[in-house]
Amino acid sequence: MTPFHDYFGISWYVFLLIWSAIAIGAHVYQVGFIVKLIRLGKDDDRFNSWNQRMKEFLTDWLGQRKVVEDKVAGYAHALIFWGFLMLVSDVIDLGTGGLFAEFLGMIYLENIWNLVVDIGYLMAGVGLLVALYRRLVIRPEKLKDSSIEGVMILFAILGIVITAFIVEAGYMLGEESHYNYWEPVGVLFAKLMQDIDTSTLQTIVDVSYWLHMILIGGFLIEIPQTKHSHLIGTIPNVMFQDHEKMGTMLPLQVDDDDLAVKTDDLDFENLTLGVNKFEDFTWRQLSDGWACTACARCQDVCPAYNSGKELNPMQIIMDVKNYGKEHGNLLLAGEAPDETIVDRFSPEAIWACTTCYACVNACPVHIEHVPKLTDTRRHLVMEASDFPEELQNLFNNLERNSNPWGLGAHTRADWAEGLDLKIGEPAEYLFYVGCAGSFDERNKNVSRATAKLLKEAGVDFSIMGEMEMCNGDPARRAGNEFMFQMMAEMNVDNMNSLGTLKVITACPHCFHTIGKEYEKYGGKYEVYHHSQILNELKQKEKLKIKDYGDKVTFHDPCYLGRIGGETEAPREAIGGDLIEMERSREKSFCCGGGGARIWMEEDADKRVNEIRAKEAVNTGADCVAVGCPFCMTMMSDGLKTLGEEQKTVKDISEIMLENLEG
Amino acid sequence: MNIAVLIKMVPDTESKLEVNDGALNDQNFKYMVNPYDEFAVEQAVQFKEAEGGKVTLLSLFSDNNSIDTDLRKMLAIGADEIVVLRQKGYRGDKPLANAKALSDAIKELDVDLVLCGIQGIDYYQAATGTMVAQMLGMPNISGVTSLEYNSGTLKAKRQIEGGLQTVETSTPAVITCQKDMNKVRFPALKDIMMSKRKPFENKDVDSIDSNDAVTSESSLPPARDGGEMIDGDNAEEKVNKLIEKLKMEAKVI
Repeated sequence: MTPFHDYFGISWYVFLLIWSAIAIGAHVYQVGFIVKLIRLGKDDDRFNSWNQRMKEFLTDWLGQRKVVEDKVAGYAHALIFWGFLMLVSDVIDLGTGGLFAEFLGMIYLENIWNLVVDIGYLMAGVGLLVALYRRLVIRPEKLKDSSIEGVMILFAILGIVITAFIVEAGYMLGEESHYNYWEPVGVLFAKLMQDIDTSTLQTIVDVSYWLHMILIGGFLIEIPQTKHSHLIGTIPNVMFQDHEKMGTMLPLQVDDDDLAVKTDDLDFENLTLGVNKFEDFTWRQLSDGWACTACARCQDVCPAYNSGKELNPMQIIMDVKNYGKEHGNLLLAGEAPDETIVDRFSPEAIWACTTCYACVNACPVHIEHVPKLTDTRRHLVMEASDFPEELQNLFNNLERNSNPWGLGAHTRADWAEGLDLKIGEPAEYLFYVGCAGSFDERNKNVSRATAKLLKEAGVDFSIMGEMEMCNGDPARRAGNEFMFQMMAEMNVDNMNSLGTLKVITACPHCFHTIGKEYEKYGGKYEVYHHSQILNELKQKEKLKIKDYGDKVTFHDPCYLGRIGGETEAPREAIGGDLIEMERSREKSFCCGGGGARIWMEEDADKRVNEIRAKEAVNTGADCVAVGCPFCMTMMSDGLKTLGEEQKTVKDISEIMLENLEG
Repeated sequence: MNIAVLIKMVPDTESKLEVNDGALNDQNFKYMVNPYDEFAVEQAVQFKEAEGGKVTLLSLFSDNNSIDTDLRKMLAIGADEIVVLRQKGYRGDKPLANAKALSDAIKELDVDLVLCGIQGIDYYQAATGTMVAQMLGMPNISGVTSLEYNSGTLKAKRQIEGGLQTVETSTPAVITCQKDMNKVRFPALKDIMMSKRKPFENKDVDSIDSNDAVTSESSLPPARDGGEMIDGDNAEEKVNKLIEKLKMEAKVI
């Protein structure tokens, strides 16, 4: 028996047409509104490398590559997702009163199709039950505050699945029908229902059918309004994911070759400095809002959020969407709402980010959280001139003495006294020391250790001495893009004048900025973190490092590991009895110093470095190895606050030098 | 209200200090705006924003060094124009001669108020501003920590030992500004860009003979000893050793 008959003397088809028109109409109207909002954003040409994009789309979207990293929620989601892809054509069949199946029957595909759809419903059903179990029984901490909406929707979708099985069973029951074993779950339902009398059965099938169609239609209407917009929003998000190297920021203005326009030639009349209006974002930054499913993985890994600061990366993404929704009509009319994007994010949140990219790395659908914060910083610094006071010192110091401490630029090479290094001469490698290695007492020792090891191994290198400047990273991450660019241009000039091709640095921020960001400013170099070079020398036995059994743990710097892509060289270089922290390599937790945060005040009860120092203490290691001058400072301070001063913090190079043979 | 702000370019605090035969070697100095004068510029710009008028920056400096970059930042903060008086043989430690050159230049402007920092952080003489007031025949309030203007009357607060003094005078007047009189703004990028189009004039002025006191010798403070680290197995032992040393060697307790 089927539900396809007259109701109240009117054909079922009339009711279905009316409901479809309402549901599809409402869906299309709302999606259209969102598309118009997203198109308000600025251009960002990502319509290239189609082969790569298709591959990424198949693995990341269809294959759910990053979704399944969460074993429970991820696989539950994947089951529902794959299940719905398999069953979605059933809607056409139910909407045409079985004509679709009949058509498939003519080309001998009906049975296979029935099986696929039936398994699809089963997979979705299992996924939904796991998801409900997680929300109602396991109840992870991060879901404590989430609305009842999630549970309601899961039940509704489960309703769609169950009613589908009942309708399938209805087909199989009644005089003329038989069990169709191509629909195994349907058969199961039919067997359960076979003793029900015909008229009750007819009612059950009718109610199930209409419930099914009402839920599907309702879902269509609901999708654009809630986090279920991710059903559509993730498609452009995953397809047009960022192909730039992780952590690289966009220049103020680029020319036809995608190179930065020189500071002297910038077109200030037509330049938007950072973001404070919805339409200042690129379209791809806006589309993030509708791709977010509120899975909170970014929140789980965010150092600012986990140390109790105002920032929650997930909220930033919600803010983009909600701002668009709430002010949509004004925005589309080209008017400016009273509330700005900065107001919505809140300056406290904007300044709390360490640009560690853990959020971006954790997101299964390639949402780009960090640029939203660095772009609003650009607005606050260059346009509004409204930023934490400490940064004013930072900028003045960088401007006057080209280092964050403001110490005399002429003392930059003092650390190298007595080491007899080449200064300002051409050599195979340039050892770019960086500000911390040049001016910070503790980190000067790292520069000395590195230089000694390089000399020991006979590497031909020189330093720039007083000619070296800050690479500009603190200015850039703090939103002073103009200052960064001036510094980058001067540095590139200086480095090119020395004929620099290969660079060694002990600072992951120099490693990142010079290695990955200077390219757009005319500086193309092979840049190595000192751990990479030192490890290679160790492996080739140009440096003989003896084995030692000390318990040591390694804290991956964000800009070397997750962002820089190098996690093994430092480990091999360190040797010893290496004990990993709970979070390591790409999943390492920031020390709290990145994103110019090390130059800003941090409330005593909200310190990121204490969280990380605790994780290091938990390993039981006696020594915390670091590969970044800021991690050095933050981890040392963190251990001090915890009263764990007996544990030492050492750079990779210092450990190697201690264990150098001969 | 038209305001003149006097700006002294002083060696960057991180400049390398070298003394050869009792004379300071200033060859490698980098120069920056005297921080006290920045408060004066900020105050002038605030008055201009409230009252209208023009802010002219006057700086007296030698005829051979380049000082444009840091000085131009004061234009970005909101001053309207800069006149640098270039003088052969200029020295920062000759307040009388310098006050003369500056007051001559101010006389050519039509100003209601002259602002400057209380002192330069090069020689800390705190003399030039007050001498300028004397030469112009204007009232002077020195070391002002907050300043209000109301139709021709200036009301100034001065932090003095153990209290606060409020002083009033009519304009024109010369005010020298104390530390933390205000918070100097950080210019937005568009202001920095606009400042490049503002008038920046270099004007040669004659050297002036004066009976200023003369610096006869410069010397650097004696280098500090390395200090002594106190070793010990635990804090108690270290503290005991320290007390012993303070008693017996340093003889301070």
